[in-house]
Amino acid sequence: MSEKWIYWFHEIGQEYNNIVGKKCANLGELTKAGFQVPPGFALGVEAYKRFMTETEATDRLLKFLEDFHADPNNVAETLKFEEASVKMRAIVESIKMPSDMEKTIKEYYGELCKAAGGKEVYVATRSAGPVSHPGQYETYLNVCGADDVVFNVIRVWSSTFNTRSIIARARLNLPLHFDPIGVAVLTMVDAKAAGVMFTVNPVNGDVAKVAIEGSFGYGEAVVSGNVTPDRYLVDKVTMEIEERVISDKGAEFVYNPETKEMEYKELPPDKRKVQCLEDREILELTRLAKEVERHFQCPQDIEWSISRSLPFPKNIFLVQARPESVWGKKKKESVLGKKSGMELLFERAFTPVKVKI
Amino acid sequence: MAEAKKFPFADEVVLPPELEGWEEMYAPQRLFSKDREDWEKRHFWYQDKIHAPEPLYPLDDIFQSSWQIALSQFTTRVFCIPPAQGVAQRILGCYMYIAAVEPPPPEVMGEKAERFGKRVPYVFQNYNMLWDKWYEKFDALGKQMKELKVIKEFDKYVPEEEVIPYPKGYTQAYELIESFNNIINMIIKAWQWHFEYLNLAYLGYLMFTDTAKKLFPGIKESTIGKMVAGAEVSMFRPEEELCRLSRLAMENPAVAAILKKDIPVEEKIKELKETDKGKAWFEEFEKVKDPWFFVSCGSGWYHYEGSWINKLDVPFSYIKSYIERLEKGEKIERSFDEISKERERIVDEYRKLIGTDDDRKSFDDAYNVVRTIYRYAEDHLFWVEHWFHTIWFEKIREYGELLVKYNVLKDIDDIYLFNRFEVPMLLEDLATAWALGEGVPTRGKFWQEKAAKRKRILEAAKKWLPVPALGVPPEEVAEPFTVMLWGITSEKVGEWLKGGGGEVVTDVNEIKGFASSAGVAEGPARVLKLMEDVVKLQPGEIMVAPCTNPSWAPVFTKIKAAVTDIGGLTSHAAIVSREYGLPAVTGTGIATAVIKTGDIIRVDGSIGTVTIVKKA
Repeated sequence: MSEKWIYWFHEIGQEYNNIVGKKCANLGELTKAGFQVPPGFALGVEAYKRFMTETEATDRLLKFLEDFHADPNNVAETLKFEEASVKMRAIVESIKMPSDMEKTIKEYYGELCKAAGGKEVYVATRSAGPVSHPGQYETYLNVCGADDVVFNVIRVWSSTFNTRSIIARARLNLPLHFDPIGVAVLTMVDAKAAGVMFTVNPVNGDVAKVAIEGSFGYGEAVVSGNVTPDRYLVDKVTMEIEERVISDKGAEFVYNPETKEMEYKELPPDKRKVQCLEDREILELTRLAKEVERHFQCPQDIEWSISRSLPFPKNIFLVQARPESVWGKKKKESVLGKKSGMELLFERAFTPVKVKI
Repeated sequence: MAEAKKFPFADEVVLPPELEGWEEMYAPQRLFSKDREDWEKRHFWYQDKIHAPEPLYPLDDIFQSSWQIALSQFTTRVFCIPPAQGVAQRILGCYMYIAAVEPPPPEVMGEKAERFGKRVPYVFQNYNMLWDKWYEKFDALGKQMKELKVIKEFDKYVPEEEVIPYPKGYTQAYELIESFNNIINMIIKAWQWHFEYLNLAYLGYLMFTDTAKKLFPGIKESTIGKMVAGAEVSMFRPEEELCRLSRLAMENPAVAAILKKDIPVEEKIKELKETDKGKAWFEEFEKVKDPWFFVSCGSGWYHYEGSWINKLDVPFSYIKSYIERLEKGEKIERSFDEISKERERIVDEYRKLIGTDDDRKSFDDAYNVVRTIYRYAEDHLFWVEHWFHTIWFEKIREYGELLVKYNVLKDIDDIYLFNRFEVPMLLEDLATAWALGEGVPTRGKFWQEKAAKRKRILEAAKKWLPVPALGVPPEEVAEPFTVMLWGITSEKVGEWLKGGGGEVVTDVNEIKGFASSAGVAEGPARVLKLMEDVVKLQPGEIMVAPCTNPSWAPVFTKIKAAVTDIGGLTSHAAIVSREYGLPAVTGTGIATAVIKTGDIIRVDGSIGTVTIVKKA
């Protein structure tokens, strides 16, 4: 019996980091901890390995690479990597998945559809490297139907051969033909609004605040920086929304059922400057952010999505959580210098207040 | 328009011609002067809207001149806060301006630091004992003033027993002069005590604010206020007593029925006294009246505001509305327990967010320091500005009555048109006329004409909008009161300067103030310039007032949001709004001038803005 290569989210957790990739492990951890995460499953790095080795993929890639020579540190040769990438991805995407794997993935997908009431659900297939390389691999949204799911899983795998990734591996002298990653297959949230939030104010490191950024439509719009999101700052203790910046959000990132593509759709003028979240949603997100931070014991960077079709508060989903990268890494140091209350009083009494005019 | 960098100097301000002669109402040291010009122009003066939002009646100025001495000396000579000096006052066009005095020379700071180090920790370590002593002596002083005898009329002849067997040796003429000297001494002393621990309480608050902001850079002043403010303070007792009396009335439907009637207070009291139960209720009212209803209907700073005990329709109208609410099954009391619990929760959760044990220890210690003494900032207010001032106003009225009786003045309150150095002249004039014998005139006509003229000047001053500040804004302020109480911040001064420095801008649609209590509300405004206007207030309106004080508390159960001209995050309006969960923006400076009753306004208490959505 070969190693297990597919898992429901609730079967995995942080300790599965190297087995299913970071993103899957975190989604599993959130699911297990009771947070509302879109239903889904994870393909471990073992699935990648099986696909690459049990099919002719590896042989064909190695064969192709025999004649490939380029210097990753020479910008002029980037074009060579681009051409190689196109060819390598074409090889991978032309290969059929081993039939038992295909069958199992389709069964898992079938379970997702069954749980959702029988109709074919839309899912996202997301890359999950054991080491976080944000934005290096690819993600495919609004995938629907068992065959499409199988094909898009292969596409995510093949994204380990995108130009960025092979250049990165070449620079590190790593093999170019093999870079096992996990894949998360999770149900799409029909997002009316989505975005990110931090459990620390990213501007000044204030640990008593949750900073939320959101916009209409799917979260990619905010994550990619393609729209100016609304910003909210909420105090974790008083639960007061202390700042709200309502931006002109321009467009929303939505699924076009006709073209079956995700696209930016311009918002009507009367909606562009409308707050994308209800106050109760802002407060519920804050509550969730605090819980996630408590669960992981460090400041978090969380992606969230609010469903169009479910009632509050069931409409709020967490789609990612990872340690916040700036303030979270700072060493916790005393800012008050071990002073007593009386010493602080003296300090205050002896210092004039500057008034800038 | 380029923003002005400075405000006009005092001698550049053009006063309306109707104010002519205003200077003679105040003692010369109270005015801007040529001989002190250099020093005065080196300082930045701003109108004190907290203590003197209205033109100053000469006798009411005694509170101001007394606090100038008291506040300043505790900083400079008693507790010796090294870089800080006092707060100076000047009157211009009947309005009072104040300035934080420039820092002392470096060698003085050194001397002060030494004394500060010895004296201040002592106060914090012994504060509870010191408060007990404070209260004891203050209570005695109030009783002493209450017992002060003011003659009702002059005897034609000194009574026999004052001559035989041993002549007393002095008469009512002397007693009148002596008693007024005494009452002046008492009010000045009360004001000395007013500041006994207030400077340190504010310093403690500023220290805790600094500490909290180092740990949580974005912490709101309103959150710090919630952490520090107490609930079980004297200031809230008057309202509690009203609630208790209302519940007591509910025990007997007949008593409640009388109290609910729309008839004058005198008739209510008469009807109450006709039944045993009613009499018993009224006796209870009388029992708690002193001290708890010695509450000013305004700030306590102006004689014309009146107090609950001499404007009984105020407490009785509150009782009426409480009874009506009790009958509807509503809860009338504020839950002090819940307020305390909420305060503890906020402090506890914040301290849990602190990253290191060392910092948590410092935070705990800083919090204990401020909590030890901060109560003083809340308690003294009731005892001095409300209780003691009520006694003072009642007594001064007796002198006014005497002067009217002998035709020295026309109206009782005209006594307030003479400053504390002048009133003794009127009294001496009267005493002299009595002593001289029958048919001797006083200068009554002269005093009365003076009073009439001063009344006209003050009326004109009320209509004048004083400039917000004078002179060149400073780069730094070390004086704790200036920062804390008047909220002098760069933003504030900047706002004032937007008007070109010379005038108040009232033609705006958005005004800014302190974000004192979070939340957003929209609705019709009700501008309440005087306590009497409270009766016009309709449920669901947004209150816009110069400032509020404990006697306004029951108003907060009716309104949707509160906006004030004056007051920071720890002002009465801010505290009560937070307790009732109402949005509040305080310290706007201009709300009552800009907003008209009936305007639809939007109050955002989270960011401190008031927007006029639709003008009435």
